[in-house]
Amino acid sequence: MVARVFGLKGSIMKLKQGSFLWYLYLDKLYCLLSVRNVKALVEYFHLLDVHHKKTLNDVLFYHFLHHVTDLTRNQITVVFNMLDWNTVGEIGFDQFYMLVCILLAQENHLEEQFIFRHSRPVFELLDLDGELKIGPDHLHMYNFLFNIKKQQLRDLYYNFDITGDRLLNYKEFKLFTIFSMDKYQESQKAEKEKKKEKAVLKKKLSQVNESQRESLLGIQPFESISNYNC
Amino acid sequence: MEGKPLKASAKSSSHHGSGRSSLQDIRNMWTTATLSQPKLNVQLPTVREDSELEDVSVSGKTLWSYDQKAGHDAEGGWEASDGGEDKDSFKPEEPEELELGGDSSQGSRLEEDDSKTDNEKPSSVSSLNISRHTPHRAYWVEQQSRLPLPLTELMENEALEILTEALRSSSTLKIQSFPN
Repeated sequence: MVARVFGLKGSIMKLKQGSFLWYLYLDKLYCLLSVRNVKALVEYFHLLDVHHKKTLNDVLFYHFLHHVTDLTRNQITVVFNMLDWNTVGEIGFDQFYMLVCILLAQENHLEEQFIFRHSRPVFELLDLDGELKIGPDHLHMYNFLFNIKKQQLRDLYYNFDITGDRLLNYKEFKLFTIFSMDKYQESQKAEKEKKKEKAVLKKKLSQVNESQRESLLGIQPFESISNYNC
Repeated sequence: MEGKPLKASAKSSSHHGSGRSSLQDIRNMWTTATLSQPKLNVQLPTVREDSELEDVSVSGKTLWSYDQKAGHDAEGGWEASDGGEDKDSFKPEEPEELELGGDSSQGSRLEEDDSKTDNEKPSSVSSLNISRHTPHRAYWVEQQSRLPLPLTELMENEALEILTEALRSSSTLKIQSFPN
């Protein structure tokens, strides 16, 4: 309900192709930027920091996200409020870096890995009230960022809400990330095996076709001669 | 922060014309630049020892042609001047000037290197040959802290667009709040 009211339910975020962030890449294992990428990002941040306060205010932040992603105004506002954990009304480089990592993780389909590797910071981001517990509304609100599907949410609260209070503490959330990571790796393996099988089938089909062609070519000249004789 | 590199507008215009291929080239350059780092880290200690010997024997600036195997192949080859072991003598703007200057000046300077090295001892010649194919430490440290030129331009243009949009929106807000 909350997500619908705020217009947050919708398609997954996409980075604008050819933008500066699009050229950065996450390390696939740790889901972090390399030192070179961070240096580049620091320079980019300094360029955007027009007021030389080492922060971005809400206007700059909005235009930055509006320029490089397809997020709506409400979504950008939600992201800003999520990152402004000090409630200063401005975003520093730490928060900016975190956001870029989240955006790149989603762009490269590494959401499960990112949440697994950085479960603590993600939990703290989702814990808006500071109660050290996450409700289903929180996760659904940020669905456009972390791409947690409905079925996953249901599994999450059905299987991992050990305390039974319909809220997840950090340990329960961590168990969920481990579980989803295992599932993700299994799905990756299954996809690889499928691809291999397809490749093998293609080879076999091509070999069968070639053998059939060869056999046809072999028969035809013999048949023509025999017809001529007759 | 170091001085911003000169915008190679002549060469950048050629990049704009190529469209998608230029974007892919940028990505390849970006990725190969990081991949090349471990190899160069291995070679650096030997290069430094050789360069110290060369500083004693070779006077003035010497130029090294950059081996493509190291992974830096932006415009067909970078060149840098070796001002000795001190980073202060190494000017950040020189690589761009050399790039834009054309091949004739680079070729003549390389010929000067060849003439000088012929008079040196065999050990220094061999070390010179080795160091020619490996980038100098100061040069590499300098390059590590810099972005590829097309990416720098992209970053600056994008930041400019974002700031322009922000300024427009804030000015329209002001007009709306103060119509008179």
